[in-house]
Amino acid sequence: MNEENDWRYAFFLGCVAPNRYPMIESSIRAVFEHLGAELLEIEGASCCPAPGVFRAFHIPSWLVIAARNIALAEEMGVSPITGCNGCYGTLRDAWFEMEHEPELKAMVNEHLAKIGKTYKGNLEPKHVVQALYLDMGIDFLKDHIKHKFKDLKVAVHYGCHILKPSDKRPWDGEYENPTFLDELVEITGAKSIDYTDKFMCCGAGGAVRTAVKEVSADFSREKLTNIREAGADIIIDVCPFCHLQLDLGQMEANGYYGDMIGEPFKIPVIYLTQLLGLSFGIDPNKLGLIKNHELSGVPPFISIEPFLDIVKERLI
Amino acid sequence: MTEIENEIKVTGKEEPKIGVYVCHCGINIAGVVDVFALKDYALELPNVVLAREYKFMCSDNGQQMIKDDIEAGLINRVVVAACSPRMHEPTFRLACKEAGLNQFLFEQANIREHATWVNMRDPEGAYEIAKDHIRMAVAKARKLLPLQVQKVKVEPSCLIIGGGIAGMNAALDLSNEGYKVYLVERTPTIGGHMAQLDKTFPTMDCSACIITPRMVDVARAKNVEILTYSEVIEVSGYVGNFEATIMKKPHYVDQEKCTACGACVEKCPITCGNEFDLGMGIRKAIYIPFPQAVPGEYTIDMDKCIQCGICAKEDVCEPGAIIYDDKPEYINVKVGTIIVATGWDLYDPTELGQYGYGRFPNVIDGLQMERLLSSFGPVLGKPVRPSDLKAPHSIAFLQCVGSRNFRDGGNQYCSRVCCMYATKQARQYKEKHPEAEIYIFYMDIRAFGKGYEEFYESAAENFGINYVRGRIAEVREGKDNNIIIRAEDTLLQKPIELEVEMFVLSCGLEPRADADKVSSLLSVQRSGDGFFMEAHPKLRPVDTLTEGIFIAGVAQGPKDIPDTVAQAKGAASSAAALMALGEVEIEPYYSVVIEQLCSGCRSCQSLCPFGAIEFDEFKKIAIVNPALCKGCGTCVSACPSGAMVQNHFANFQLNSIITWALKE
Repeated sequence: MNEENDWRYAFFLGCVAPNRYPMIESSIRAVFEHLGAELLEIEGASCCPAPGVFRAFHIPSWLVIAARNIALAEEMGVSPITGCNGCYGTLRDAWFEMEHEPELKAMVNEHLAKIGKTYKGNLEPKHVVQALYLDMGIDFLKDHIKHKFKDLKVAVHYGCHILKPSDKRPWDGEYENPTFLDELVEITGAKSIDYTDKFMCCGAGGAVRTAVKEVSADFSREKLTNIREAGADIIIDVCPFCHLQLDLGQMEANGYYGDMIGEPFKIPVIYLTQLLGLSFGIDPNKLGLIKNHELSGVPPFISIEPFLDIVKERLI
Repeated sequence: MTEIENEIKVTGKEEPKIGVYVCHCGINIAGVVDVFALKDYALELPNVVLAREYKFMCSDNGQQMIKDDIEAGLINRVVVAACSPRMHEPTFRLACKEAGLNQFLFEQANIREHATWVNMRDPEGAYEIAKDHIRMAVAKARKLLPLQVQKVKVEPSCLIIGGGIAGMNAALDLSNEGYKVYLVERTPTIGGHMAQLDKTFPTMDCSACIITPRMVDVARAKNVEILTYSEVIEVSGYVGNFEATIMKKPHYVDQEKCTACGACVEKCPITCGNEFDLGMGIRKAIYIPFPQAVPGEYTIDMDKCIQCGICAKEDVCEPGAIIYDDKPEYINVKVGTIIVATGWDLYDPTELGQYGYGRFPNVIDGLQMERLLSSFGPVLGKPVRPSDLKAPHSIAFLQCVGSRNFRDGGNQYCSRVCCMYATKQARQYKEKHPEAEIYIFYMDIRAFGKGYEEFYESAAENFGINYVRGRIAEVREGKDNNIIIRAEDTLLQKPIELEVEMFVLSCGLEPRADADKVSSLLSVQRSGDGFFMEAHPKLRPVDTLTEGIFIAGVAQGPKDIPDTVAQAKGAASSAAALMALGEVEIEPYYSVVIEQLCSGCRSCQSLCPFGAIEFDEFKKIAIVNPALCKGCGTCVSACPSGAMVQNHFANFQLNSIITWALKE
């Protein structure tokens, strides 16, 4: 731990990153370690549980499970942190609601008492982006930049739960036209380009991906069409579930809507800390950017080779 | 003095005979607690000689009950257990006075706000609280002493802050009644926002044609002194005798010498955005805001001026009126009354990022649209869109921008003018371009004024303006800087996407950004929405809780021009009524010094927030000026020797209340 700060967090992994995109987890760990922030392991964490699925069926169950996950972090005395918008949505909404409604907290603790746990609620759940942008700050991050991109056009995808509901998020009024993610991307020298419907959903959320894959692929088709029209080299996101949809979703959109799309999509999708890590001078292997070519059918589904070519040529 | 001589002599030494009157207040009190039981309870208290209950104590009959009992010599102290003294304390005091009892031998127990309203679901609890209040009021009444009302002279002059349509109308009325008026306006011209408007709804008469002659009337009015480009920086004193310090900002042009020839403007090399046209038109660094400005005084904007010296050259300014080192001037005025008519700011829609204001050139606000439509605006009344200066073929308006927003930071109130101004602007544009497609996106159309509903109906029926009920979710920019709107038509229950060439945000009205400064300058309170608060929402709409200070126009809350003028005339009338009396009564709640106890330490003098305490150098004691004392009691608690006594709230009176509050 850095002596000058108190950047210690309990790392809540969620489901999608460990199961599908271990490179996301790996890059978050590498970047946080590089910046002198400590990520503690949560023993026995469960599903967050997913806001679109669990909460839609039974709010008290959703709340109790979420509170248990936060309580595990509380036992370590630090804020839970996640790199997933969905987990962030659940943990933060649950925390906020229990902060404002003592009856809910009492109900939750009644259930948690059965397994010998207590939810206190004094620690705010955070997103990786929140730690980078609000706790550490842009100026601090800029000091760590070793390499800068020359001419890299990035389509930034915020995702939904990181921004909304606005009253439960920490972005101080920046909800309808936020810039924090663009600012983080641009410290690497990359250009965050504007594209139509930038704040549109990736297509996965709200259980749409699970329930009606064609509809979810149609969302992605529209989003990806706009991104391609704007001339983006890569997509940067901050959520493993969005990442899955924008990565695997390209293949699905190509399949369902090939005749509408024309040339199939093949836009590399990169997680924020992978991009930042490169700029900080972290080994690309630690950032999960180097893949064994023999591993087919393993993510990422869309080759990131074009991005790595850019890195070789334009990361100075 | 005769009033006092006629009073029943009460010195405080005779046995108090207290009458307690319990009011039903319709069902407000009687619907929650047993008023008959309360009456019986009061009778058990010491010195209470009679107790009665009645449906409405404030009615004529109720007051008559009190008077009859006083006149029959049954009682010499009165307690009414009813509502808040805010409203009816003066009513009951007057009743006492009319019956010959000193009005300060009255005490009111507030068992409505404090007991039955807040505890209407807990009648037993409410009853106990009501008993407490009655017991305490009786305890106070037992110790009350007669007091004499102080009268002070009222200065027959008025300070009006704000030279918009409200301030101007109030100034004219007061001037016509013979009162001296100081009309202070912070910009270089009077006229306010109304001078920026093109036409007014629903009559479509030209705003400039109404207001510019009015501005000239104000300039000509013999009792009005216009102080433009000036700000009130300090106010002291009290009702009837306010003293205000006004800063006249430097014009850098000697108004005595200036002939308003305008040669300097021609030669000035600095061009910048004109505030009057909201930055869409241009002006020079030396300027008058618009040709009809009153007074037609030239001003140099020192933030823009580079002091090149061209305007000061002899062949440019022949009279030599330019003074680059002009300094502010401070003047002091004594006034009896003050009218606050500071107006409003337009809501800044930049923070609503989804509407693209400030990002897309063809998104403008309602006041900018007004200037575009104005025959003396930047495009001489032929509106064009900012991106290519062409007349748009399609325009969408969005209502309730910054109004009726219950999310964090939003203004929750309705701004009351936007529905009509958007309708008016849409009609004006249609008159010029009948082929244009106009859409107005609304939540509800509020057409409540005289002729408004007809105006709105006609806009839809005869002018073919499309009203779409639904909020716009977001907009983006399409080809040619067109605006693509995404919304839901909630009547058809269909999402719609629409491309228009210009997008107008019907922004609401907000309190002035510096309303808090004015508020503390004048001790005038603000309501939750940030506008200045009236003394009573129904019965005292132009008064403030600070006596002698009145409010008018949008400074009090959003309103249209007719309502603003009506309120301005109301404020002028109330101010005049106060000044016409020539003198005003001051509550005798001031502090008095017990000379024998005062050690002359002067602690009180340094603490008094109103400067009401002087020091008698001969006797070496403090003296309170009753007219300046507001009865805050600071000196009483500070006095180390207990020499300060505050009338009506003396220690022995308060101790009596506390003692009885703790008894059961």
